[in-house]
Amino acid sequence: MFITDIRKEFYEVVANQRVALLVASDVDALCACKILQSLFHCDQIQYTLVPVTGWQDLSTAFLEHREQFRYFVLINCGANVDLLEMLQPEDDSIFFICDTHRPVDVVNVYNDTQIKLLIKQDDDLGVPSYDDIFRDEEDEEGDDSGNESDDGSEPSGKRRRFDEVNIGHYWREILFDYEQYEYHGTSAAMMFFELAWVLTKDTKDMLWWAIIGLTDQWVHDKITHMKYVTDVATMQRHVSRHSHRNEDEENSLSVDCMRISFEYDLRLTLYQHWSLYESICNSCYTSCNFKLWTLNGQKKLQEFLADMGLPLKQVRQKFNCMDMSIKENLRDVIEESSNKYGLKDIRIQTFGVHFGFKNRFFASDMVHATAALLESTDKDGSDSDNFIKALESLSRSNLDRLHSGIDLAKKKLLAIQQTVASCICTNLILSQGPFLYCYLMEGTPDVNLFSKPMALTLLCKYLLKAFVHSTRNKRCKLLPLIMAAPKSVEKGTVIIVGIPPESEISDKKNFFGRAFEKAAESTSSRTLHDHFDTSIIELKMEDRSKFLDALITLLS
Amino acid sequence: VSSTNAARLNKFKNKGKDVGECRRRRVEVNVELRKAKKDDLMCKRRNVNSCPDEPTSPLQEKSQNAQTSRPWTVSEIVEGVNSNNIETQIQATQAARKLLSRDRNPPIDQMISAGLIPKFVHFLGMTNVPCIQFESAWALTNIASGSSDQTAAVVSGGAIPAFISLVTSTHQHISEQAVWALGNIAGDGSGLRDLVIKHGAVAPLLSVLAVPDLSEIPRDYLRNVTWSISNLCRNKNPSPPMPAIRQMLPTLLRLLHHEDKEVLADTCWAFSYMTDGPNDRIEVVVETGVVPRLVKLLGYGELTITTPSLRAIGNIVTGTDEQTQAVLDAGALAMFPKLLHHNKANIQKEAAWTLSNITAGKDTQIQEVLNAGLIPYLVDLLVRGDYKTQKEAVWAVTNLTSGGTVEQVVYLVQANVLEPLLNLLASKDSKTVLVILDAVNNICTAADKIGETDKLCLMIEECGGLDKIESLQSHENEVVYKAALNLIEKYFSGEEEEVQSVAPETTTDGYAFQISENQSTFNF
Repeated sequence: MFITDIRKEFYEVVANQRVALLVASDVDALCACKILQSLFHCDQIQYTLVPVTGWQDLSTAFLEHREQFRYFVLINCGANVDLLEMLQPEDDSIFFICDTHRPVDVVNVYNDTQIKLLIKQDDDLGVPSYDDIFRDEEDEEGDDSGNESDDGSEPSGKRRRFDEVNIGHYWREILFDYEQYEYHGTSAAMMFFELAWVLTKDTKDMLWWAIIGLTDQWVHDKITHMKYVTDVATMQRHVSRHSHRNEDEENSLSVDCMRISFEYDLRLTLYQHWSLYESICNSCYTSCNFKLWTLNGQKKLQEFLADMGLPLKQVRQKFNCMDMSIKENLRDVIEESSNKYGLKDIRIQTFGVHFGFKNRFFASDMVHATAALLESTDKDGSDSDNFIKALESLSRSNLDRLHSGIDLAKKKLLAIQQTVASCICTNLILSQGPFLYCYLMEGTPDVNLFSKPMALTLLCKYLLKAFVHSTRNKRCKLLPLIMAAPKSVEKGTVIIVGIPPESEISDKKNFFGRAFEKAAESTSSRTLHDHFDTSIIELKMEDRSKFLDALITLLS
Repeated sequence: VSSTNAARLNKFKNKGKDVGECRRRRVEVNVELRKAKKDDLMCKRRNVNSCPDEPTSPLQEKSQNAQTSRPWTVSEIVEGVNSNNIETQIQATQAARKLLSRDRNPPIDQMISAGLIPKFVHFLGMTNVPCIQFESAWALTNIASGSSDQTAAVVSGGAIPAFISLVTSTHQHISEQAVWALGNIAGDGSGLRDLVIKHGAVAPLLSVLAVPDLSEIPRDYLRNVTWSISNLCRNKNPSPPMPAIRQMLPTLLRLLHHEDKEVLADTCWAFSYMTDGPNDRIEVVVETGVVPRLVKLLGYGELTITTPSLRAIGNIVTGTDEQTQAVLDAGALAMFPKLLHHNKANIQKEAAWTLSNITAGKDTQIQEVLNAGLIPYLVDLLVRGDYKTQKEAVWAVTNLTSGGTVEQVVYLVQANVLEPLLNLLASKDSKTVLVILDAVNNICTAADKIGETDKLCLMIEECGGLDKIESLQSHENEVVYKAALNLIEKYFSGEEEEVQSVAPETTTDGYAFQISENQSTFNF
């Protein structure tokens, strides 16, 4: 069931209990987790934090903790499957689920006792009504459908003819419509920030985490532009509320103060921590618009820089070291030239933060850094090590960690950009009819980076954008993209990601989850549908071609 | 609420199945549907041969699906059917059909008031465009599936003759749709049923079944025709015209030997309708020699078939003794132990009702009931049947006591009918109480004839029956009160002395109504 009063129905329920906190591996989940941890610290609520990377992980974590805990809080996992069916918990286990995955499983929605959904009901959910899908059989029979009832009652005098699909399966069709697309709802971090606010325990740190959570959804392209702008406005109100609150306080000028500000900033990734040149080269927006993988694009970039009147020397050196005079109205200068070069929307609503005097970050910097740490391919680090490091990078007391994350993120972005360029230049993106397909072969540079779901998804998104900019085939511009990359050489598996078609007005709804499941089933391919996003799966290398064939048939 | 929810949830998702399995099943369902949708789309294409271009990619298909699933408004449909372009007319008719067949709340009334019915009826006649004939037939079928007013609107649009001529269309799916539509119209009630018959629907409907072997006919088509014919036999006040019944009977008899369960069920219902009436109507049916087949179907073991065949048999035994005898001669009573103990209360009730009409017959027929060993079943129903069944069992007993021989009544008493019968005097329903008092009176009369009144009265008293009868003297219903009073005055007034004189005997076990060695005297 949906919780309507998050304070009464959630926070006050767990207040004197021990809570198991099961947190998925994405930046929004980490931010939500940080907020909840702060609240729990504040109220001395005992909890155990368990990072989970997929369904198997979640089941194991539950098994390990089911004895000691009655209350489980699931962050960014659990909503889109029938959780009770999957975990088979005791009758008194209670699950609080704060998850952006949509659609929410109907059984979760209509379970009143054990499943409590911390999900806003105004979140464009479109849940089918209870009566439509859980109607008793007797009710079905009462329907004058074309089918004869089997209870021996007198046949109906008149019968309406339904479409074949419809006969007796009205609920199935409704369920099908409801479940066919996967998408994301309001950020989990924002949900918990709202809780903190309702409890009047919200702090600037929490606000910042909520902003990062939201920004994660934007960076990883999980929500529509409209949704992003709406939620930014919500966050902006909180930001100005907090700025006013601390206006007169002395600490607003101290070394450890924290100032959050709304910014209309450049869509240049990490530019404050890079050189302007490198940022332009490795940002999806500029790279795609200039088509930097072409000679022509490179030339255009040079012209663009010249147009701005920025000396190359300045542009290529660390942003921090650039002349103050250049930095002062840099954004206006860049915007002006961008407009000339057709980059009409190089600026975007976002937020920045100052820690003391020296450290300044944009929300997207944080997302990239934390994501990079979360999916670090460092050989010694386990998943949970990465999780802890990523969590640390969100604390302002651990700026070193953050900076190491930023370094990792730069490497990742460079790798993405180079991979995109090489895929486009060597025509690795093939049109398979119903979708585009790109396979990164073993031995491709940085390929191990892309064995991770978030990195591969980001690559996928950048690649599709680049492809749409580069291809002349109008039909292909409208196609979704499937990417495969080696997952584990020892196990002989590949990771596969499917993303919806690229368009300005895209609703970001993804139908590959269902399609993958069916294709795997019809070919008995050895697949692992373990990721919380159903559009990300693992597959045995040898089964790749039959799986793809089935997918093509299915979607044609 | 939550506990019922849980129950419903459990019903919905099989608990206990392992996770992977359930997930797989769900996926299966979903993707099957996707396939079904695609197949459906293809079907439509087949039907609608001149429909717009096919989608070229799944994405386009998606968006096109989205477009086609965006319902047309009624005014768009009106505009479409009124256009001069046949393609547009087809699309609009199809859109109307979809609205009428997919929606939870089909906009039947809007379609009617938009004046679409005459248009659709006109399309029915466009023999050179089968596609539009089919779509309009489907749309009209669904309009006719509504309320009486809605069905009447279809009829006044002139649909009946148009549909009748389509029954013999060379396109089977059009014929099927026309048959379905006529079924809906006839199913409205006696008036429209007779109108359909008057327009001459019977002959063409029968003609489509005039093949050497019914199994050549596609199953769904045959089912639809059967259902529509059964609707032509349906409803009373007045019952269908006799000539039409005579015309349909041979075909219905054939259908009753077909193996498809739904066909059998609908045919049995047709026979139950035809036998639901005065004796001359029953006679027409019995004359065909159908009774043995109906009796055989009683034991078919499918509720959908048992129910209507039992109804038909039950109707027949409401007829003359000869008609009842036909049922008995077909060995129907052998089926009754199963029916009287059926797990559906409704079947028990109908069986008891049927039996009550047999025990209302000649004593030889009653004897057949006794011989079939059905009395213990009847007594058992008096004890534990549901209320409606008990009422029918009471009737069966009373009828037996009134038409049976003394010997047969004695047998009944020996089968321990008294206690459960008298217990039902506590019933709130005066009618039932009167029927029971009637039975008691009959049994007493029988006892009187063989001089066993005292014993019987003792038995009645022993099982608490006398108290019940006495308390009925204060019953609010005057007839009940008088009947009870009458019984007491007649048989229980000398009670005090009787009790004493009989008392010694009660110490022996011989006081039960044992048939004495000398059976010829009919002693209890």
